[in-house]
Amino acid sequence: MAWNVKQDESLKKEIPTLNQIYFYLTEGCNLACRHCWLAPKLQKKKHQYPVLDFDLFRSIVEQGKKLGMTGVKLTGGEPLMHPDIEQLLKYLIDQDVSVTIETNGVLCTPEVAMLVAKNKNVFVSVSLDGTDSRIHESIRGVKGCFEEAIQGIRNLVNAGIAPQIIMTLMRRNKHQIEAMVRLGERLGAHSVKFNMVQPTERGKKMHELDETPSVKELIEIGKWVEETLAGDTQLKLYYDSPAAFRPLSRLYGQEGTGCNVCGILGILGVLADGSYSLCGIGSAVSELVFGHASRDRLDKVWKETKILEEIREGMPKKLTGVCASCLMVGSCFASCLAQNYYRTRNIWAPFWFCDLAFQEGIFPQTRLYKKQQILA
Amino acid sequence: MKETGKPTANPMLVLREEFDDWAILFDPDTGDAHALNPISVFVWKRLDGHHSVDDIMSELVKSCDDVPENAQTEVIKFIDELLEQGYAGYEI
Repeated sequence: MAWNVKQDESLKKEIPTLNQIYFYLTEGCNLACRHCWLAPKLQKKKHQYPVLDFDLFRSIVEQGKKLGMTGVKLTGGEPLMHPDIEQLLKYLIDQDVSVTIETNGVLCTPEVAMLVAKNKNVFVSVSLDGTDSRIHESIRGVKGCFEEAIQGIRNLVNAGIAPQIIMTLMRRNKHQIEAMVRLGERLGAHSVKFNMVQPTERGKKMHELDETPSVKELIEIGKWVEETLAGDTQLKLYYDSPAAFRPLSRLYGQEGTGCNVCGILGILGVLADGSYSLCGIGSAVSELVFGHASRDRLDKVWKETKILEEIREGMPKKLTGVCASCLMVGSCFASCLAQNYYRTRNIWAPFWFCDLAFQEGIFPQTRLYKKQQILA
Repeated sequence: MKETGKPTANPMLVLREEFDDWAILFDPDTGDAHALNPISVFVWKRLDGHHSVDDIMSELVKSCDDVPENAQTEVIKFIDELLEQGYAGYEI
C-alpha cells in the first residue's frame, strides 16, 4: 500500500548489474528529424556512414550476458537501416534476451516485421510526430515518410506485434495529441508515448528558436493527458515528464505507467563505431566515451570506468539544484544524466525541465522537502 | 503488530495529500519518501493511539464500497511496515 520513492541503499554498495545495452547501430539515418537529440547524418545512396560491425555486436552481447544483461535496445540513427539487420535479428532470437527496437518505421517491411516477431520478448516503438503527412514530414524532413511509417506499423501489427507510437511534442504538432491516440487505436498500437524535445543537438536549436512548448504548457498538456485523455482510451498513454510532475496514482497505481527513471545505473551505450558510451551521448560529448569494443573488455569498462563509479557512488545524493530538494529524486535520478551533462558539463546538474519549473515557481510544491517559499 | 494495539503515527513525519487522494509521506530529516494510495492515507490518519485495526476496518467498511476480503490482512501488513520503519509506534 506504500511505495518507496527513495533509492535502495543496497545499490550503492556494489556494482549494479548491467541490465541492458543500447546499441546505436547506425551513424547515419534515413530521416532528418528537426528535434533529434543525436543528430545523425542523413544517409543517401551516395554516402554511407559507419554502422556497428555485426561480429562486434555479437561479441558485446555475449560479454553482456555474462554480466547479467537481460535486454538489448536497437536504436540509431535508424536500426532497420543496418545492412545486417536481418542477420542481427536472427542472431537475437536464440539469445534469450529482451529486444527493444526504436525505429521510424520506414524500413519495417513485412519480412523485417516477421523476423522481429520471432523474438519472444520484443518491444517496438515507432516514431510518429504527426497524424498527417504534412506535419509528420515537416518534422522528419523526408517526403513520403509518413505513409511509409504507417505501413511499417501495419506490418508490425500484421506480424503480431502491437507497437508503441512515440510522438515528440512541439508547437507544430501539439494540437494533434488526441488525434494521435485515435490513430494509434485504429492502427492497433499497444500504447502512445509523448516525449518532450530534449535541448540536445538539434533539439537544442528547436528550444532556441522557441519551436517547443513552454514548460508551463508541457505541464498543462501532461495533466490533460494523464487525468483526462488516459481515461478515454484503451491504449496505455505514457507522458514522459519527470516523476515530480506526474500523479502518484499514475506512477504507482494499478493502472499506472510507472516512473520515467533514468536507467543509467544498469545501462551502457554502444555507438555505431563500436565505442562504449553513456547512453548515446558519447556521439556529442567525447568525454562520455569509455573505450572501444574492439580493444576493451566489456566487464572492465562496466566495472572500472571512473565516471560510472562516480555515478554509482553519488546517485542520488550528489544531485544539485531542485533535484536535491525533490522527494521524487529516488524514482527519477534527475530524469536524464546524459542530457544534464550535455547542458552543463556537470553530471550532478538538475534536469532542465525541473530547473525551469522551479525558477518559474511552477514546480509541484507537494514534491519538495520544503515548500518553495522556504527554499527561496 | 499487537492485534489489540492502537498504534500512533510518528509525529515527525509529514503527509502531503494530493488531488487524486494519494499522498506522499516523508521524513523531513532524511528525505525518505513513500507514496501512499488512498486506503493507506485513510489508515495513516487513524493511527492516533485511539484506533485498533478492528476500529480502522470498521470505519473503512463504512466509508468504502467493495472492500476486498483481504483488506484486513493488507492493513495489518501496512501497519507492520510502518512499525518496522519507525513510522509508527505504541505509546508507553
